[in-house]
Amino acid sequence: MAIDKKPASPRRRFSRRKGCRYCAEPSMVIDYKEIRSLRYFISERGKIVPRRISGNCAEHQRKVTEAIKLARNIALLPFTSAHSND
Amino acid sequence: MRTYETIFIVRPDLVGDEYAAVLEKFKGVLTAQGAVILKVDEWGTRKLAYQVKKQGRGTYVLVAYEAEPKVIAEFERRMRIDEAIIKFLTVHLEKGLPAPAPVKTLDDVTAEAEEAGEVEETEEA
Repeated sequence: MAIDKKPASPRRRFSRRKGCRYCAEPSMVIDYKEIRSLRYFISERGKIVPRRISGNCAEHQRKVTEAIKLARNIALLPFTSAHSND
Repeated sequence: MRTYETIFIVRPDLVGDEYAAVLEKFKGVLTAQGAVILKVDEWGTRKLAYQVKKQGRGTYVLVAYEAEPKVIAEFERRMRIDEAIIKFLTVHLEKGLPAPAPVKTLDDVTAEAEEAGEVEETEEA
């Protein structure tokens, strides 16, 4: 009985596991002053994007989180969009 | 001696001589206590992510220096007193001052990756 080789279940195909961007490119430095890179990891509301979405590994997610929190303290990044000044 | 870097935000309405005086004053506070200034980076006036002391903008100054831990306490105390400084942040650089090589941003890397991908594809074809 021939078993049709179906592609992975449709549910699986949706998940796009991007992998850690910082592991893929070791020359990239996580720095709280480099807000252009960090912006990628905060939501529109100013929240830190969780690991399951950002795809970062634990080590780099931790460093990103620390960098974002430092940047918030020196008014480079917002704590929340509600307090943004325009 | 440990390596630290401090970012402080000067009130944006201080320009020219007043701003230069503030900068010199705080550089003086550091050197007077035996700190060695490694780098002074003036970012200029930029928008703050949120209001600080009713200011929407601020002039950022980054100073990297080598100093004893007790110097930081005095430096920060003086910044708290001075009305010209609206915010500051001191970070201990455990690995010392990083080499001034151009830091790659995420955008550069994605651009490079895209270029590399295109090249590979053409080679295969």
